[in-house]
Amino acid sequence: MAKRKKPAPFDYARKWPLRLTFLLTTLFLYAPIVVLVIFSFNNSRRGGNVIWRGFTTDYYVKAWNNAGLVEAFVNSLAIAVISTVFAVFLGAITAVTLWRFRFPFKPAYEGLVALPIVIPEICLGVAIAVLFSTLGLYVPPGAPWPFNLTNIIIAHITFSFPFAAMVIRTRLNTFNREMEEAAKDLGASEYRVFRDILLPHMKPGLIAGALLAFTLSLDDFVITFFTSGPDTVTFPVKVYSMVRFSVTPEINAASTVLILITLVVTAIAMRFQTFEDPR
Amino acid sequence: MPDPIISIQGVSKYFGDFMAVEDITIDIEPGEIFALLGPSGCGKSTLLRMIAGFEDPSEGRVLIGGEDMTGVPANKRPVNMVFQSYAVFPHMTVSQNVAYGLKMDGLPKAEIKEKVAEALEQVHLSQFAARLPDQLSGGQRQRVALARALAKRPRVLLLDEPLSALDAKLRDAMRLELVKLQESVGVSFVMVTHDQSEALAMADRVAVLKDGKLMQLADPMTLYQKPANRFVADFIGRVNFFDVTQSTKGSAEIIAGPLGALTLPAPVTGTGEHVLALRPEYIRLSPAKEGGLTGTLGDVGFQGDSSIVEVTLEGGKQVQALAGPEDTTMLLSLGTGAAVALSIDLSQARLLPA
Ligand SMILES: Nc1ncnc2c1ncn2[C@@H]1O[C@H](COP(=O)(O)OP(=O)(O)OP(=O)(O)O)[C@@H](O)[C@H]1O
Ligand SMILES: [Mg+2]
Repeated sequence: MAKRKKPAPFDYARKWPLRLTFLLTTLFLYAPIVVLVIFSFNNSRRGGNVIWRGFTTDYYVKAWNNAGLVEAFVNSLAIAVISTVFAVFLGAITAVTLWRFRFPFKPAYEGLVALPIVIPEICLGVAIAVLFSTLGLYVPPGAPWPFNLTNIIIAHITFSFPFAAMVIRTRLNTFNREMEEAAKDLGASEYRVFRDILLPHMKPGLIAGALLAFTLSLDDFVITFFTSGPDTVTFPVKVYSMVRFSVTPEINAASTVLILITLVVTAIAMRFQTFEDPR
Repeated sequence: MPDPIISIQGVSKYFGDFMAVEDITIDIEPGEIFALLGPSGCGKSTLLRMIAGFEDPSEGRVLIGGEDMTGVPANKRPVNMVFQSYAVFPHMTVSQNVAYGLKMDGLPKAEIKEKVAEALEQVHLSQFAARLPDQLSGGQRQRVALARALAKRPRVLLLDEPLSALDAKLRDAMRLELVKLQESVGVSFVMVTHDQSEALAMADRVAVLKDGKLMQLADPMTLYQKPANRFVADFIGRVNFFDVTQSTKGSAEIIAGPLGALTLPAPVTGTGEHVLALRPEYIRLSPAKEGGLTGTLGDVGFQGDSSIVEVTLEGGKQVQALAGPEDTTMLLSLGTGAAVALSIDLSQARLLPA
């Protein structure tokens, strides 16, 4: 009988439909980003212009000098950082509670926590906006930065903490309960078990959750749109309003910087992230 | 007799309606290796966890060193445990793992260092002190768990299935090593196992459990030679059971199924149903001759120094006999299906309640 040959690791690449799929997905994923970056250096007055007119960094300078754009950019970063901190904190508490304790209606509560992930963003945006206006929860105009962003930050925490909670919860599922008992057996208090054993185990989940919350916040448009005012413009909202007039390479330039920042943040986070196997 | 180091007094444990441990009373002596042996789900881990303080008895109490442990949490009990998964902390080096319990006790740094070095020495891990657990083999991780528990100088070391995660070869080596370690540190070991050969080889005394109940508590020799009931006889080693169809209290005459009428060395002491238990080594096989008990030779399971031989008696009852090297040669030359005669050493037969 003829032996069946096992496929070598990269054998799939020899099958042309798979190759084609691979090629096309990569192309559609990265081509727009590559084009965006390339044309941020295009010496043309219109960003939508697909004709290469020579290399320039003028538009980076221009973007830098566009006070409105820079302000929106800084706002976005501030919102992302602050809401990430809260989202991860709340997410971690929620995840540990769900993982650790049994209480009545727990499945219902678990569902409720996950709900903002599936609810259409537009509904959540409207709901949050209505909530703020009904309760009269508005930061008075002229509040000092970054407190003027409070409404947006609260909205961002609302939609990003369930994601953080899910990621952290998943990580907790790989925790070996005997580890906790071993620490107790050696004399550790509840608090020491949490600090010395559980928290280090959660770390990759915390980092992944933070990354998720950060990027979700940074590029959110829909919910932000409903909760931002004229003084509190974020980068996506600003870009949207600029694009309505004309697409200039300035936007490409600012977007490139944003991509760079996310890449750097992700790289740093990955460095901190060590996935030990639970034993 | 010295005071017991652990005294389990009438302990029961319910999980809801389910009775995992039922009214168990055991005293564990200082300096012994004590094994809790039983099939899966018999409640041995639950019993061990009640000693460690991870479960509270529903009834009864546990005393350690004469002190009632009721209400004392795990982190305040003078015993330490080696977990089935070893539960070595993955983000700490070997020496940090071993130091953890000492740190929790608030010992000064210098003393911790000294004790860690000593504990690592005991388990031959000194050169691995700076490694992380995932750079260790399974056997080495187990030693870390051992050193970590022993460094705290517990009154008793609890071990849950200490060898089950190791491969067969290492397991045999570790059996001896654990016994040696116990002798050198002198603390009592209470180990849980479902492997009867492990319990017999290592323990000074063994408690056999079934469905949460204590079946017999004895030293390995007694368990093997004088099992208290059918379950223990069956669980420990190989055994042949013959249904006893007729027995009278006070008389040594019985009728045991295919063996027919027999005269036991001692009179029957109980009434009710009985079985006759006979270890394979007390059945001797020879080429068939006229009269006596005969059967048909089945498989000869060669084991090197001896073989386990299957024989089918007239009427279909299967029995196992143990044959020495010479008998093995003789039986192999007879071949499967040959008629053989069985001679039984009745003095070693045990009449057990069915
Ligand atoms: N927390 C619990 N809740 C409900 N039932 C439990 C719990 N812990 C154990 N049990 C039940 O109690 C019985 C005894 O469990 P235990 O873990 O002591 O068994 P074991 O003898 O250690 O078995 P194994 O060899 O499989 O580890 C089992 O039937 C188990 O299902
Ligand atoms: Mg168990």
